[in-house]
Amino acid sequence: MIPELITVKIPQDRIGVLIGHKGVVKWDMEKRSGCKITVDSDEGEAYIEGTEDGDPLKALRVAEMIKAIGRGFSPEIAVSLLEDPLHLFEVISLSHLTQKTLKRVKGRIIGKNGRTRRAISDLAGVEITIYGKTISVIGHYHRINAAHDAIEMLINGAPHSSVYAFLERRRRAETEGKKWYIE
Amino acid sequence: MMAEIRWAVAHIYSSFNNTIITITDLPGAETIARASGGMVAKSDRDESSPYTAMQMATQLADKLKEREIRGLHVKVKAASGRKSRTTAPGAQAAIRAFGRAGIRIGKIEDVTPIPHDGTKRPGGKRGRRV
Repeated sequence: MIPELITVKIPQDRIGVLIGHKGVVKWDMEKRSGCKITVDSDEGEAYIEGTEDGDPLKALRVAEMIKAIGRGFSPEIAVSLLEDPLHLFEVISLSHLTQKTLKRVKGRIIGKNGRTRRAISDLAGVEITIYGKTISVIGHYHRINAAHDAIEMLINGAPHSSVYAFLERRRRAETEGKKWYIE
Repeated sequence: MMAEIRWAVAHIYSSFNNTIITITDLPGAETIARASGGMVAKSDRDESSPYTAMQMATQLADKLKEREIRGLHVKVKAASGRKSRTTAPGAQAAIRAFGRAGIRIGKIEDVTPIPHDGTKRPGGKRGRRV
């Protein structure tokens, strides 16, 4: 069978991160997954070639990881996508907002000195980056929903206090064994 | 190397509430077997869990062996639309389980429909009023 090629397009200024200093990041990804990664730095495209006998899922996960790096995550965080099959990567697009609101909404989510962003990532147990017109989340799949809802609340204009309260409630429900299954 | 092994396609719909696996022939015209979360899991919230997906895949693998189907191409689809566009972990678990049950995995493809514009978010102009 012809090995399949997955193409992922990422922004130009993330290409350097994807490759890493002297290619360490790319090399590490290839070693972990057994896939072959080719980067076209003029086009900003990465091609992933799965190996014949390797785990066919790995190529997909590598594609996810590259997308995550392209959306502003550091390779150290993005690598959790390769290591833990229960970790997911989710993108919330803000492209429907106008320039001015985009800036405002991003500010709301980041908070003063990054307070809000840190609070969301601590309370929900996920990693968050805000890059360009997207907010991206990496985390365990139970946790990602809470973070997603919280960010959605902030975009829709909910006060920060009620978002924190919401996250606290979610967390308490989880520790009490009801898990993510509330509301 | 590709001696006569029979292939089929596994369409895996994996949302955060359920996983549905439908196995069809290559054109997708005839359904060979199918399974959904509720056929295995006891409670609603387990329908989307990776473990349920694994059990579903092993059950389906038995049916495939009766039919002497040895290979599966996979098409995964997420909830799409206004919901999440990332596939829930059920899909991955299912593919792994197929592989472990001795079925060759061919091409894996993400077929989540991505709209160029999409529909309006629910709630209307003034948002959801509680």
